[in-house]
Amino acid sequence: MSKDVMTERQRVEALLNYKRPDRVPIWPFVPNGFAVLYNNLTIADAYTNPEGLYYSLRKTCQDFGWVFFPWMGYASFGAWEFGGDIKMPSGEYDQAPVVTRHPVEKEEDLPNLKMPGPDAGFFPTARSFSGLARQERLDNEPFNAVITSGVAYGISCQIAGVDKFLKWLIRKPGLVHDLIRQISEWNYASLPLQKEMFGTEGVLGFCGGPWGSNKLISPKQFAEFTLPDIKEGQARLRALGYKTTYVHICGEHNANLPYWAQVDFGDPGIIGIGAEIELEKAAEYFPDDIILGNLDPAIVQTGTPEDVYEATKECVERGKQLGCGYIFSTGCDLPPRAPVENVKMMTKAVEDYGWY
Amino acid sequence: MATEERTHELVQGLYDAVINMDEDVARDLSQTVVDEGIDAYRALTQGLTAAMEKVGELYTTSQYFVPELLLCADALYAGLEVLQPYVTLEQTGKKRQIIIGTVEGDIHDIGKNLVKIMFVAGGWTVHDLGKDVVLSRFAEEQAKIHADVVAISALMTTSMLAMPKAIALIKAGDPHAAIMLGGAPLTRDIAESYGADGYADDAAGAVREAKEMLARLKR
Repeated sequence: MSKDVMTERQRVEALLNYKRPDRVPIWPFVPNGFAVLYNNLTIADAYTNPEGLYYSLRKTCQDFGWVFFPWMGYASFGAWEFGGDIKMPSGEYDQAPVVTRHPVEKEEDLPNLKMPGPDAGFFPTARSFSGLARQERLDNEPFNAVITSGVAYGISCQIAGVDKFLKWLIRKPGLVHDLIRQISEWNYASLPLQKEMFGTEGVLGFCGGPWGSNKLISPKQFAEFTLPDIKEGQARLRALGYKTTYVHICGEHNANLPYWAQVDFGDPGIIGIGAEIELEKAAEYFPDDIILGNLDPAIVQTGTPEDVYEATKECVERGKQLGCGYIFSTGCDLPPRAPVENVKMMTKAVEDYGWY
Repeated sequence: MATEERTHELVQGLYDAVINMDEDVARDLSQTVVDEGIDAYRALTQGLTAAMEKVGELYTTSQYFVPELLLCADALYAGLEVLQPYVTLEQTGKKRQIIIGTVEGDIHDIGKNLVKIMFVAGGWTVHDLGKDVVLSRFAEEQAKIHADVVAISALMTTSMLAMPKAIALIKAGDPHAAIMLGGAPLTRDIAESYGADGYADDAAGAVREAKEMLARLKR
């Protein structure tokens, strides 16, 4: 029988106030695909059906005892919004929207790039979802809205196509800086408007993504091209009164950590890491922030229930030892087709070993 | 007839052009090799492909990253385009063949493209099926080509689920097919559990892994 005392919301709020909760909270990263399939919808519903996604997430987080964080989006955001085309997932092995045409096919397309209006691409769907999410805030829901800044580099990758963009880092750095500057300024201009719409209460800042990983670029390239916008974007969120940002440091970023650590992610920030970064190392770089992670998602899909249980137990036992706060999570998206029995083992292991 | 000194100068120039990511110089020097009647095979192997081996080392030791690798590859391809028509089969011997593609449902192909570069640099004939490759196409192409190696990549946990089926289809058509897997969510253990014969952790090790896999399979 569960001996829960605090709710998931209370646990996270305790950490946000630099207090120790009774137990480690459970907050899997982007369980959206898993949630829609668990509720007998299709994978495409995670990206096209705001109501379907919202209520699927709500029920899934309730059933599994997780933090409920309503967020609707995808990693290749930007291509569609800035004038390209995407294809929604439909096949058995599809997971997320894919870009079928980038807005910028060649250098000469850049001067014609237009900043998107409020009805471009995914925005209407996201607004519809946000409208639903803001109507309630449950006892497992510390935040019910998100405001994003510091992601101009990732959006630029989607606009130009990753291969071409990466070559431009060396061949045409001026172009890259110009593009990132345009997109970051467009984003910064939207922040006060978003604050007018949503306020700050219950709103979580967000930042992150895979494009700055050291599997792709060097720490020097990260510092030159990615970091300035991350710093500025987050500074603006702090100045607008958004106390905390959840940063998803996706993939191999060990050599980038000294740069990430220069950013003010809040008071405190929530630093999400994957299995590529040791929890203890993250805590060294972010001693005053909450570390979130870092179960390898592949284990949840391909392992046995025992594998998932043991791997979660290890994360939790190590996370609890950190001097800063700790939230258990997957290192990246919870695999949509992970077996339910495996997913249950994450909760079981936290309930067995996550108490302070 | 070019002197050894001149030949060495041009070969070194090609090597440097690839390391320095200079596509134009690689192309121009390759044309000079042809124009001066220098052994194109020597220029290709000691210049271009030797340089890509060095690039692979620089990538493994985190001195070069993907932007550099892609630009070095552009220089390599520029040189190859000029030199390859002048390289004879007697010089190369029968080339190993590889079929490569990103599995159905997955459009991430940077890793696959980096692996392709390494195999091209290693002198293999590469049949690149692209990304989001329908599973049956791997089997159809292998049945036609009988490549030495079939290499399949996946970056997403969802698309990796397609790999066991792809392997089964390939082996149903060609039981002797040697199949290797790669991609971020995979491990050697997972690759083996899927029925693969080999696994490469990254592009730099892929050619070595392919050779070791073929040696293990005695192919």
